Amino acid sequence: MRHLVLLGFLILATGTAPLAQANRQAPDEFRRMLAMGAKYATGSEFYAALKKAAPGGGRQVPAFTQLPDWSGLWMASGGGNFFSSGPGGVAPKLTAAAQAALKQGSDNEKNGIEYDENLSQCGPPGYPRWLVIPFLREFIVRPEETWLTSETVNNVRRIYTDGRDHPPVDERYPLYYGDSIGFWDGQKLVIHTNQLMERSMGRNQPVQSEKMETVEIWQKINPATVKADVWLYDPALYAEPWYVERRYSQVPNEDKSLRIRYWNCNENPNNDVLKTPDGSTNYKDFTFDDKPKEPSK
Amino acid sequence: MIGRTLTMIGAALLVAMPLRVEAHHSAVMFDDQKEVTLEGTVKEFQYTNPHSWLLVDVTNKDGSVTTWGFEAEGPSTLLRNGVRPADLKFGTKVTITGHPMKDGRPGALWMKAVRDDGKEFWPGGRPRAAAAQ
Repeated sequence: MRHLVLLGFLILATGTAPLAQANRQAPDEFRRMLAMGAKYATGSEFYAALKKAAPGGGRQVPAFTQLPDWSGLWMASGGGNFFSSGPGGVAPKLTAAAQAALKQGSDNEKNGIEYDENLSQCGPPGYPRWLVIPFLREFIVRPEETWLTSETVNNVRRIYTDGRDHPPVDERYPLYYGDSIGFWDGQKLVIHTNQLMERSMGRNQPVQSEKMETVEIWQKINPATVKADVWLYDPALYAEPWYVERRYSQVPNEDKSLRIRYWNCNENPNNDVLKTPDGSTNYKDFTFDDKPKEPSK
Repeated sequence: MIGRTLTMIGAALLVAMPLRVEAHHSAVMFDDQKEVTLEGTVKEFQYTNPHSWLLVDVTNKDGSVTTWGFEAEGPSTLLRNGVRPADLKFGTKVTITGHPMKDGRPGALWMKAVRDDGKEFWPGGRPRAAAAQ
């Protein structure tokens, strides 16, 4: 019992930011944002409407000096969930397939079965999962292109803001992070992403389809916080478009000692994991284990 | 009453917040309901991505030595929590605590290490209860 209390405090210290901030958005604001995206059947239509309403029809490429300062290091600090209820208890309207997948995932967790089809072998987390992954991020802003990067598996989302469109339909194919185009509406970066790959949205989470597309609005809301409003459209998962607000907090780094370093999962063989016969995760043989034996699972 | 309340809070957080939701791999191979505390000397600090390992030689009752591996997140998380590669060099004596592996191999999820000079290292961050002391 004592351990339970201690572990609770450990979690309080290390991982409660998402809990504390999950309901930071007021219910009325959440419903307003959800309704904004729900007016459109597709993300493309929503993005086109936002672009049309922006000054200059979203076709103006700002000068570098007009862009916001998003420099520094950032970490995800909470916000909405892809499948849980939002502020005020509004639940996403999920397809039967998504509900079944969530039930299966929940059962797996109860039975201690977890395996990460994307990350365990150091594959890309992909997008939109990228929005919720931990560790350091950098946001590199230039007039013609913005890079939204993350330390996790060295990933980079390239957002083209030079006026280009998505590739022609005949040139499209599924991508881990999709194809992202955007425009600046004042200090807000508006992004449309499509061409996404069919893959898991997280450990024991449903699988998104290739029809997934999103609209995002990124902005700095105070010196230490960048937030992203995200609308998700995927008829395989959502009967109606869903909306989440995600926040990213600046990481204190006064002495500039923190830097993003390269990830190579082959660097240390002690990090090699396998998928067990029951579908869970365990380590392969350790190099430090002087009495190796077969994992029980 | 306070203890009971704290226990309930701890239990609620356990249910609501997996320790490492989106890290490189699940922590399901560790038993988060158990702790192991061992005394030994540092054999190697593998300061690597996506996870770091502190290897500690532990002398058993029969005089044999087992090398234990204590797993933590990668360097950026360690640095943010004040655990530098030079802090735990070869030969450093430590008392180290972690959640052991379920399958009995000498590995654990590293929670805390205390160097022989008394300095504490919390690779996942110092719990508030400990920080207040």
